[in-house]
Amino acid sequence: MRSCIGIDGSRQDRATDSSIFYISLQPPFHRCSRTDKFRFLDLKVADAYTNMAVDEALAQARGEGKSPDTLRFYMWKPSAVTLGYFQSVEDEVNLDALKEYGIYLNRRISGGGAVLNSATGEITYSVVMDEKDPRISSDPVESYRYLCHGIVEALAILGIEADFKPINDIVVGGKKISGNAQIRRYGAVLHHGTLLVDYSAREMFSTLKISKEKLSDKMIQQAEERVTTIRRLLGREISFGDVRDAFEDGYRRALKADLVPGELTPYENRLVKKFRERYASREWIYRR
Amino acid sequence: MKRFEYKVPGGKLLRAKVEEQDGRIGFLQITGDFFLLPETDLEILENKLIGFPLDAVRITDTVTGFFAERKTTMAGASPADFAYVINSALGIRA
Repeated sequence: MRSCIGIDGSRQDRATDSSIFYISLQPPFHRCSRTDKFRFLDLKVADAYTNMAVDEALAQARGEGKSPDTLRFYMWKPSAVTLGYFQSVEDEVNLDALKEYGIYLNRRISGGGAVLNSATGEITYSVVMDEKDPRISSDPVESYRYLCHGIVEALAILGIEADFKPINDIVVGGKKISGNAQIRRYGAVLHHGTLLVDYSAREMFSTLKISKEKLSDKMIQQAEERVTTIRRLLGREISFGDVRDAFEDGYRRALKADLVPGELTPYENRLVKKFRERYASREWIYRR
Repeated sequence: MKRFEYKVPGGKLLRAKVEEQDGRIGFLQITGDFFLLPETDLEILENKLIGFPLDAVRITDTVTGFFAERKTTMAGASPADFAYVINSALGIRA
């Protein structure tokens, strides 16, 4: 028997039963990971620095062949504005409003736009896969389309017809309900995004500076008209538990994969600790 | 500091902030919600253009050549868009 790391991160011996999925450390992980199973890290709440550190840790560990393909759900406490890698703090964020609402500020390693990750209004997710996985297109738009499809499926489960809108949005009736971003680093692709369940327009649009250029391009005068939420579309209350369940089923369908509950490995936890220091640093947040 | 903001039709937002120094680029920073990989290429380009004369054709050729040579992947903007926003912030045209 060969010693392997199981999809839940535990060390196991390789079995002859092909229905049991194990991940071999030798040969490299990606050669034996193209199965239809993902490790599933279920909904947890953390602050912005930890959340971003976990995503990067997953990417590094996956790229090094030390961890499996992973789907992760998470939430934020306290709420946070995350900037895209190339965005400028002064152009995107009202710092006084962040202070007033007690909202953290952070910067992602992925590109894209600033997002208010509300502690009470959204579920965030990430998918981490081997960059060389044949399911991941080298064309960025196709890669987004594939990895965003779980959200379209999740919304369909909830009775909401949504569409992928290139480059990186999911829209319902032309209004954005989910924003997504990707980066390829360490030999892995990290895709993360949000799904709006509810939101405070006042909080969102007082913390984020919306470009007049961007608004005029969309021919919309009021920033509030650009976004929608699950609760608004359903016209009723829906629990985060129900949204989470739909989210899980949606990604199970989209990835055509079994989602195997797991936890971070000790190696990933060490990476989280290291990365968290960077994400919490002023140098990182205010780099642009 | 001079600035120029450009929303690529159907794409992303680009902003350029520039400072001139003795008829050359003294400071350059490009920001926005575009996607660009590897992400380090943008800082390399910004540094490369420091000290460049305010010559729109040369800036355009350098920017487009730089991204082509490095096989930079981008979404929501093109190399020509980057050149355009830099030149526009400088107030020059190719």
